[in-house]
Amino acid sequence: MSDGRARRVFVEMLREEWRLHSRLFRGSHFSLFPVFICLLAGAAAKLLAVTGTEPKTVFAGLHALVFVFGLHTGSIGFVGRDALRNLLGDVTLLVFSARTLPLSQNTLLGLFVVKDSVYYAVLFLLPISLGTVLAVSGAAGPLLVAETVPLLWTTLALTFVLGMGTTIAALGLAGRGVPGLALLAAPLVAVGAALASGVDIVFYTPYGLFLAQTPVRAGTTGASILVVFLLSAGTFDATAPRPARTVTPAFRRWWRRIGDPVATKSLLDIHRSAGGFGKVLFSAAILFGVTAALVDFAGQITGVPPSTGISFGAILGLSGFTTYNWLTQSDDVSLYFAHPLSVKAVFVGKFRAFLLLGPLVGLAFYGLALVWRGGSVAEAAVGGVLLVGVACYIFGTTVYLTGLSPNEFLFDTALFAVFGAAMVLPLVPILIAGFAISPLSGTLLAALGGSGGVMAVVGVALYRRSLPKWSTRYQQA
Amino acid sequence: MTAIEIESLRKAYGDMTAIADLSLSIDDGEFFGLLGPNGAGKTTTMEILTGQLSPDSGQAAVLGVDPATQPTAVRERAGILPEKESPPSFMTPREYFDFVGAIRDMPDDAVTAQTESWADRLGFTAKLDTLSSDLSRGQQQKVMIAGAFFHEPDVVFIDEPLANLDPIVQERVKRFLRSYRDDGNTIVVTTHDVDVAAELCSRVGIMYGGELVADVRPAELDADVTLLDVFLDNVDATVDQGPKSLTHE
Repeated sequence: MSDGRARRVFVEMLREEWRLHSRLFRGSHFSLFPVFICLLAGAAAKLLAVTGTEPKTVFAGLHALVFVFGLHTGSIGFVGRDALRNLLGDVTLLVFSARTLPLSQNTLLGLFVVKDSVYYAVLFLLPISLGTVLAVSGAAGPLLVAETVPLLWTTLALTFVLGMGTTIAALGLAGRGVPGLALLAAPLVAVGAALASGVDIVFYTPYGLFLAQTPVRAGTTGASILVVFLLSAGTFDATAPRPARTVTPAFRRWWRRIGDPVATKSLLDIHRSAGGFGKVLFSAAILFGVTAALVDFAGQITGVPPSTGISFGAILGLSGFTTYNWLTQSDDVSLYFAHPLSVKAVFVGKFRAFLLLGPLVGLAFYGLALVWRGGSVAEAAVGGVLLVGVACYIFGTTVYLTGLSPNEFLFDTALFAVFGAAMVLPLVPILIAGFAISPLSGTLLAALGGSGGVMAVVGVALYRRSLPKWSTRYQQA
Repeated sequence: MTAIEIESLRKAYGDMTAIADLSLSIDDGEFFGLLGPNGAGKTTTMEILTGQLSPDSGQAAVLGVDPATQPTAVRERAGILPEKESPPSFMTPREYFDFVGAIRDMPDDAVTAQTESWADRLGFTAKLDTLSSDLSRGQQQKVMIAGAFFHEPDVVFIDEPLANLDPIVQERVKRFLRSYRDDGNTIVVTTHDVDVAAELCSRVGIMYGGELVADVRPAELDADVTLLDVFLDNVDATVDQGPKSLTHE
């Protein structure tokens, strides 16, 4: 394609990505996203720095996160088509146009990868690099910042590209039967063997290059990226039809137990979409890990171990937000309008599904925390009440502010600020009590239990008050 | 008896007027077609009649019920085939029909019987347990058609019912629609396809710019006048006005 078509397709792909994000996150607010990302990365890095985390650890964690982000992004255009279609309706990306345009599949795939690399490097990784370096090394002077930002940006971009290539290569190999799967297993075994024999393979990744810019590290980074993309080009077929998935009927059985068709459908959606119920557990597991780290850290500062019940209960209740997100991911209210279902009935179904899943998952991890860290029965009981209260409160607030589109929070600054304030006001006093006061007096425990109950009531009240608003709004659309 | 009554209906999206001033009456047992070019206001009319959208002003009644104030009561008695919707991605056709049956309080055996009957009628028995996201568009359309008629409603609103269907299935659907009308039910269909409207509908309303510009009974047209002629006479365009690139040199 020496006639400029590659450049044209590349530009159109960039435009397509921008429009996709703008539509996904409701228009003009997306243009402020890089600023938001910079501030968020800076705030997170500053928080870690203030709590005594080594800059090296911050940078290592950032590379790990970007690698996971790359893995995820690699899958979006190909295996995430269902999710895009559910959110946006029928979506056809330029990368799938090899059969209708005189462009080879490998060319389109190559352009897609370059487009994603440029797009995410500029809009996501540059603000992240800037925010993080300013927060972690800003005090060391502008020279160090000016040196570190380009280096971090480069190695994060390489990490992202490596992650994306790894996903595409893995998808390509997985589609090539047993030989492909064997080839897919080989590098995993090699990595395992290297780790077992004490070889620190991290040094040969882009993160290793960030730590020391030696020819060997640059060479291994380049070679690993080259290998995954050669494998991708040789094995991945973006236009290959996916085999139709046949499943055993479950709706009727589930519905008899759950008693609400919308709740049943919502839970089936989670079960059958990528990651299944595991993604709900994963979200809660992250909160569990964060809480454990915070509890340890708070214990080191105050010299008194925080209350397991109050700290874990209050924070694990926040998993209600991600649970509601998963419950609404495959929905568009217009689907329900083909049936005699009111908007209110849709939300009632969502709430029922939420009650079945959200607090249950939170309580499972809460039980794990109690077994692991121990604690008094009274604190455990109050923590349980807090968990359910916070979960209901976050559900009610989210429904009130965003209806069936909780994703709006992430890219609508004003909405995010309101949501943040609504969370901070009741939660900060509870968390201060849970993390800084030990042992908790009976009066304080009673107050905390009462606040959990109040939060539950407020959450349910917010949810109920939002029903007429969303009924009107969805019918005026 | 009147099945559907519309009076001075108006609806705008921001600055764009979708329905300007629409008044219309459809009798019981009519096969009524809403025909018009893109953006004429057909789908908006359908969405207002089924309670999916509220009008800015004016009145509508479906089987005596106001869809703006009692949307679920209308949808209880009506069948709806939306133009753009497909069955839920992570449900199979069988499960989707179970879902429809659950919402409509249908007994299990009736749901099972209807599922088998519709799968046989439209030829998707082998796909009953395949996830809807993995069905072709044609198969998804068949499932949505079945879902609209599943509870045997008195009135159905169907938007481009023959889209994505092969000629054999199109013919089966047409026959079914005629027989359904012959049983005394009311059908309202929106379409761009003049031939489909002429072939199926007992009465056709031509919409343009949000208004009803013609109300025609195809069977009563003069022998030398086609529905396409009436359509072109009433919308502000002719076949010859298109860009040159539409003709092959």
